[in-house]
Amino acid sequence: MINSVRNTVLAIINKNNYGYISPGDFNLFAKQAQLDIFDEYFIRYNQQINEENARISGTGYADIKKGYEEVIDTFSITSFLTQKTGNVYYLPSQSTTGSDYYLLNKVLCFSDGNLKGEAEKVSHSKITMLNSSLLTSPSTIFPAYTQEADEITIFPNTFNGINDVQAQYIRYPLDPKWTYVTLYGGEPLFDQTQNDYQDFELPIDDANNLVAKILQYAGISIREADVFQFGQIEEQDQNRNNI
Amino acid sequence: MTYINQRKYYTNDGVSPTNANWGSYQYVSLEDVVRNFELMYAGNHELINNQNRYQILFHAKRGIQELNYDAFKEIKALELTVYDDLRFILPSDYVNWVKLYLLKDNVLRELTENIQVQSAVSYIQSTTDTFAYDTDGTATEVESLLDSERKDGSLKSIYLNDDIDGATDPNVLYIDNDLYNYKIGARYGLNTETANINPTFTIDKKAGVINFDSTMANQQCVLQYISDGMENGDDSKISVNKLFEEYIYAYIRYAILNSKFGVQEYIVNRARKDKQALLRNAKIRLSNIHPSRLLMNLRGENKWLK
Repeated sequence: MINSVRNTVLAIINKNNYGYISPGDFNLFAKQAQLDIFDEYFIRYNQQINEENARISGTGYADIKKGYEEVIDTFSITSFLTQKTGNVYYLPSQSTTGSDYYLLNKVLCFSDGNLKGEAEKVSHSKITMLNSSLLTSPSTIFPAYTQEADEITIFPNTFNGINDVQAQYIRYPLDPKWTYVTLYGGEPLFDQTQNDYQDFELPIDDANNLVAKILQYAGISIREADVFQFGQIEEQDQNRNNI
Repeated sequence: MTYINQRKYYTNDGVSPTNANWGSYQYVSLEDVVRNFELMYAGNHELINNQNRYQILFHAKRGIQELNYDAFKEIKALELTVYDDLRFILPSDYVNWVKLYLLKDNVLRELTENIQVQSAVSYIQSTTDTFAYDTDGTATEVESLLDSERKDGSLKSIYLNDDIDGATDPNVLYIDNDLYNYKIGARYGLNTETANINPTFTIDKKAGVINFDSTMANQQCVLQYISDGMENGDDSKISVNKLFEEYIYAYIRYAILNSKFGVQEYIVNRARKDKQALLRNAKIRLSNIHPSRLLMNLRGENKWLK
């Protein structure tokens, strides 16, 4: 998809000889645009839930929320967390689980390989009182965790083994990279066989949105207000269609 | 999570204790209650959303506690020996007592609660306002005369007289002596509600003990009591009778809606009525009123009374 998006962007920008975007710049704009759209999925998902509660949303093919869930779930990862010390574990990251997390959705606690319970996130303002409470202190079947910097602390502290804590999280999309081979005296030629090639991870129907977003960044970059405004209008049209 | 098969039910697959699953089908665990509530009654499209699980857990446990106090009829029993100190330490999960028995001569004798004070604290005292104090300025305690007399048996009872009925001389007409000194149970003004020859007791809730009179020394005592169902804090053992399962969900729903900001009053009222109706239904179910049993009771309606 990345090549067709780039070709579309270049075709629009090159009209009237507005300017040219280098592959390096395109990759930067593409990354930014993808992150923007990825972020919007969660906001739209929430809007869709509100619409369902207001009974202005349908089921079957009209089930918009299902589509959003499917896209978000393509970024879902389930992985054991790396233990730091005792009941403290590192949050998912490039160095521990292989990917940075956008949203920590679920933390599961195991003991001797058996699932004991799902840990609930508790704020720091509550955890001290919670631990002191007779009725609600975290237990093996109702564990809890707090988050601090890049770590989480599991309660009760009996969960302290290497494979005692597993997380299901939504990772960030990988940075898109349009790779190429340079030809003599000519334009760079798209080459997806290179090791660092990375296509967009968003679904194909987001191509229009990606073009609109990239055009806005490119418009600012080449100081062409028309390009920026065109991208903006295109995006608004897309969003209106999605509602 | 699946239902256990019959081998597991009867034998626990040979794992000790092998009777761990007997009768378990009557109950639903706290874990199931909280999980089912989160699945069915809390979420984006439900009345309750954005609720911390520990709040659901709290209300679930509170609901189970309330049920244990009366509706459940889950009465525990503990038998202990009462020694010379005439005390019975309340069980660790004790909330309230139901009945207390003396087990003697192969017979369970129900004991009567003594409404008089049976135990008191006393200070070392020389005049009305002169007490002995320790280094912290606290008055020094000493065993009270009431306690020592109760323990050595010299404390008189208001319920029965002291002399043994068998010692009454049938040939001597000594009405005053017979009536006032012997345990013949006919004293004028006797409190018949509480008069019996068995030991009496009082419960010192703060001290966590049951105090008896001296006739209870070295006897076997059986206490029937109720707990709050919290199983000494072991969440995995807390359960609720299935007859009350729907009530517990309704109770949690009501408790959360009632304390949540911005919930319309008619929704809170609906939840409250729902909860109360389900409690009534569950109590009726648990009371086991069967037509056949009622018939047996009615057979006594034409009985001749003397």
